[in-house]
Amino acid sequence: MSEVAAPTSAIQSPWQVDRFVVVTALVGFALLGGLIWLETAPFMVALFAIGTVLGIALYHGAFGFTAGWRNLVVHKRGAGMRAQLLLFGVTSIVMVPLLYSGQPGLIGAVAPVGTSLVVGSFMFGLGMQLGGGCGSGTLFTVGAGNLRMIITLVFFIIGTVLGSIHLPWWLDQPGFDPVPLVASFGVTGAIVLQLVGLLLIARWVSRIERKAHGQVASDELLWKQKGQGFWRTLVTGRWPFTWAILILAAGNILTLAIGGAPWSITFAFNVWGAKALQAVGVDMGQFEFWQWEYPAMALKDSLLTNIPSVMNFGLLLGAMLAAGLANRFNEASRNKLQGRPFLAAVVGGLLLGYGARLGFGCNIGALFSGIGSASLHAWIWFACAFGGSYIGIRLRPWFRLPN
Amino acid sequence: MNPAYRKGRVLALLGAILILIVIDHLNSPTFAFNSGQGNVQTALSQKDDSACAPCGAPCPSTRD
Repeated sequence: MSEVAAPTSAIQSPWQVDRFVVVTALVGFALLGGLIWLETAPFMVALFAIGTVLGIALYHGAFGFTAGWRNLVVHKRGAGMRAQLLLFGVTSIVMVPLLYSGQPGLIGAVAPVGTSLVVGSFMFGLGMQLGGGCGSGTLFTVGAGNLRMIITLVFFIIGTVLGSIHLPWWLDQPGFDPVPLVASFGVTGAIVLQLVGLLLIARWVSRIERKAHGQVASDELLWKQKGQGFWRTLVTGRWPFTWAILILAAGNILTLAIGGAPWSITFAFNVWGAKALQAVGVDMGQFEFWQWEYPAMALKDSLLTNIPSVMNFGLLLGAMLAAGLANRFNEASRNKLQGRPFLAAVVGGLLLGYGARLGFGCNIGALFSGIGSASLHAWIWFACAFGGSYIGIRLRPWFRLPN
Repeated sequence: MNPAYRKGRVLALLGAILILIVIDHLNSPTFAFNSGQGNVQTALSQKDDSACAPCGAPCPSTRD
C-alpha cells in the first residue's frame, strides 16, 4: 500500500452532512429526553445521553463484534478481535474494583453456568453471522437506517420472547449458580487472571494473522486516521478503534455507576415483545418468566423507567445522528432484500433472540459486562458463541451472504 | 446522489414509535404516581438483589 504523504485537503472529499437525518435525530433526542426528564428522574436522562454517545461510538468506530470475528476466521485479520479484547481488559480494570468496593446498590452482570448458557450462547453466535449483527450491532445498524437489520431486529425480539417462555425449563437442566471470579481469587487476582486470559487470546489471534499475512497490522492501537483531520474524523468518522474503546469502556462504567448495573441491551427486546403481545390480548403473566419480580415489574411499568430500553432508544438515535453526520443514513439498504438473504435475517434474528435469553444476554450484557464483572459465565459465553459464529460463517454462502 | 430513503417514511416510523412509547407510559404505574396517585410501586428504582442474572432469573440451586 502506498504511504506517500499528501496534503490533507488534497485527498479529502467535500464534507457533506445529511441535514434532514441530523435534525430529525436531534429533535427525537430532545423530545424523548424531555419526556424522560419530566416523567422519570435525572439519572435516566443521563443514561439516555450515555446510550446516545454509545450509539455514535459504535457507528463511527464501526465497532462490530460480528465482523471482527468473521474477519479473523475468513480473512485472518485480527485487529477487530484484538480491539474487543482490549475493550474488555480496560473495562474490567476499572469495573471490577468499583463493583466490589462495597458501595451499596451496585449489581454485576453475573449469571448461572449450565446447559442454558452453553446452548444459548452457541445459538447467539450462529445467529450473529446469519442475522448480520449482534445485540449492539443490530441496534446501531437499525439506527443508521439499515432495512435488513430491521427484519433481524423484529425476529430478534420474537426470539427473546420465545426464549423467555422456555427459560424456566432450560434453568431446570444441569447447571449451577453464578461463579464470580472475585470470590475465589480476590479483586486483584480476578483482574490479573482475566488480563492473562485476554492476552493469551490476543496472542492466538495475532499468531493466526502473522501466519497468514507474515505480519500483524495493529490497527487497534492507532490513535489517528490517515488522511483526515481530527475534527472531521470526530464528526463524520471513521474513528480509530482506540477512540471507540475508550468511549465504550467509559460508557459501561458510567452506566454501572449511575444505573447500578452494567450496560445491557437484550432485556429491553424482551420487554418490547412482551408488551406488544399484551397489547393484543396475550396474558404474559401466565408464563413463569414474567412472574419473576424484575421482569414482572418491567412489563407492568413504563418503558421510560426501564434502563435497557431508555439506553437502547438513545443508542438508536445516536447511530442515526452519526449516520447523518457521515451522510450515510440508509446507505446499506439500496439493494432490495429478498430470497435467502431475507431468510437469513429471519433465522438469524430468531437465533439471536432465543440465544440471548438462554445465554443471559448478548455480546454486551453477557460478554462485555460479564467480563467487566469478572463472572465465569462470560468466558463460557465467549467460547460457545465463537463456536456458533464459526458455523454461522460457514453457512453464510448458502444464504448468499458475502464473507 | 439521491437519498436512499423517503423522508416521510422516516418521520412516520419515528412518530409511530414515539406515540407507542407515550401510550405505554400513560398506562403505567409511574404515570399514575406522577399524577398524584399514592401507594403505587414503580420500576424506577427497582433492583432485584436476590436474582441470579441480569434478566431476573432465579439461581438454579433455588429451583425445586
